Amino acid sequence: MSILLIGVNHKTAPVEIRERLAFNDEACANGLRHLVDGDVVREGLIVSTCNRVEILSAMANDQVEFGVGRLTQFLDTSGRLPAGFLDQHLYRHTNEDAVRHLFRVASSLDSMVVGEPQVLGQVRHAYSLAVEAGTAGRVLNRLVHHTFRVAKRVRNETGIAANAVSISYMAVELGKKIFDSLKGCSVMLIGAGEMAELSARHLVNAGVSRVIIANRTEETARKIADEFGAMIVSLEHLDRFLAEADMVICSTGAPTFVLTEEQTRKALERRRNRPTCMIDISVPRNIDPAVGNVPNVFLFDIDDLESVISSNIREREREAERAELIVQSEVMQFQQTLRLMDAGPTIGALREKLQDVARAELARQRKKLGPLTKDQEAAVESLLVSTVNKISHPILNQMRRFYETGEPDATQAEQDPFGLEE
Amino acid sequence: MRSLLLAVLAAYLIAAIHSILAFVNKRRSLQRVAQWSTAVGFALHTCALIADWVIDGHYPLFGLRETLSFLAWALVALYSLVLYRYRAQALGAFTMPLISVLTFIALIIGSDSGTAPAAFSATWLFPIHTTLLIFAYAAFFIVFIASVMYLLQERELKLKTFSAIFHRLPSLTTVNELATTAGAVGLTLLTLGIVTGMFWSSTRSGRIWHNDPKEIFALLTWLLYFVLTIYRSTANWRGRRAAWLGVVGFALVLCTFFGARLLPGYHVFG
Repeated sequence: MSILLIGVNHKTAPVEIRERLAFNDEACANGLRHLVDGDVVREGLIVSTCNRVEILSAMANDQVEFGVGRLTQFLDTSGRLPAGFLDQHLYRHTNEDAVRHLFRVASSLDSMVVGEPQVLGQVRHAYSLAVEAGTAGRVLNRLVHHTFRVAKRVRNETGIAANAVSISYMAVELGKKIFDSLKGCSVMLIGAGEMAELSARHLVNAGVSRVIIANRTEETARKIADEFGAMIVSLEHLDRFLAEADMVICSTGAPTFVLTEEQTRKALERRRNRPTCMIDISVPRNIDPAVGNVPNVFLFDIDDLESVISSNIREREREAERAELIVQSEVMQFQQTLRLMDAGPTIGALREKLQDVARAELARQRKKLGPLTKDQEAAVESLLVSTVNKISHPILNQMRRFYETGEPDATQAEQDPFGLEE
Repeated sequence: MRSLLLAVLAAYLIAAIHSILAFVNKRRSLQRVAQWSTAVGFALHTCALIADWVIDGHYPLFGLRETLSFLAWALVALYSLVLYRYRAQALGAFTMPLISVLTFIALIIGSDSGTAPAAFSATWLFPIHTTLLIFAYAAFFIVFIASVMYLLQERELKLKTFSAIFHRLPSLTTVNELATTAGAVGLTLLTLGIVTGMFWSSTRSGRIWHNDPKEIFALLTWLLYFVLTIYRSTANWRGRRAAWLGVVGFALVLCTFFGARLLPGYHVFG
């Protein structure tokens, strides 16, 4: 069996094309039933996300050429595109390359943001659709389960998803670095912008128990406050509550500093110097940069966050190189599994064939043996069959080894399967 | 005896190497190996100390070899406690190599020349005095490591440039708490150690203070950690300044520990 993968992703095709090709769940199931005819395309699976549309399929070895045409045509028709239109956007991978591609996609090495965790769930969903449609068979089942294992290995053994690469998540990461666990911490939002809201949501999910919102107008604050059960205070009373906040996220549209060094010093005194993490995502800045000089205050403005994020992205890319090595070794391993799956039936069939030869010979000479009891008859047959089995065993074993490694190797044992020279 | 200590060293070395690898690669499986070999090393080390005690007939804490070996053992004990309580695995990458070095030196020194005078094993006060102080030193070493970890991270947070080491260290709150607790434990042990030393000295020679360099350093060390603990508990000094005091304090501890070797005095060993 051969594995064939064709598709487009965010690197090869613009969104106008990807959106035309995208499959929803229903279209995916129908498409699969239509595509997998059991004749050319034996098994199929469609991965459709906002960044990629890919068709994975299994077919007999000698039909790959034909299969490429079938799959391309299938994409053309389902996207209602003229034939040949997709040529420059489409990638086609067979066997080893197809396996590697799938492993890389599921491990999030092929994603826009390397290490993002969603794509594995999307592959999992695609697989369950194929299982429902009955188009995932022997080969794809094995392949997809192997893929899940690879993705898990990459996640556990590399730091590919370790550090935050978005501003809203940076707040959580900094909080954890300073407070260890965010459980029981309080966060104060100064200004109730969209970014503050997103950060607050991440923080609350990470365990922050109390949210205080200081905003110029109460109505805007009210919308966010309801979601988090937050307390609303006016900007004039900021000082009173500042001492209670372990983290401060500032994002007002004010043209001047909302928080000064003097205010912060006083708040820290009342906090008995417990550390405070302040994040200023507003431009122009709302927290006086001098606040960063106050001991036990850790202040980050938007540029600081951006530079940490870009260094985190570089770190992820370094980890991605380690992930590629894992993928490579897993691809080799899967190739071996696949060869064994191919070889399994062949070896079994050959064995049957040889036994049939023995039985045919027996039938031919049967008359000369004269009348035999049932037991004797059975004994003669088993004599012949087990002789054939014993003789063929070393050779069949050698074949199996050959399929496992994928190449004939010229060791002594291979040239002399019967061990004549011993 | 030597072969037992050799096995201990091997276990500690395996633990040290795996702790460092786990620290660099952030792999949990490596950490598990490190912890198991630490446990094995500690068990063997305990056996070695007991065997030493039984064979030599005196408490195994006399002379340089025994002191270093005992110190290594005490450090492993405290490190294991910290691991259990704070899950601060990164500590292993720093303590296990030192523990291995201490064990190695103890091993190459071989046997101490001469046996302990009868006076030292006549009363229980002396072994208690030395044991308490060894554990105090070990606790101050933990304070030192935690303080260094604090300072490294605090600096990077203030400068907003995070190096590779940053993501591998425990959080600021964890190391701060660790330094506070270890400091308080160390101070208690040091106090008790000094008091038992005074008692022992008074029963032996009728004097409680000899003005020897080790005693003077010990007093300074005690003062420093006393100030540190008071300041930490009133919370006026938190974070960076307290961490610096933890680092400076350890320099004094080293002077106390080695002081008697370099300067003549009443005390005989480290």
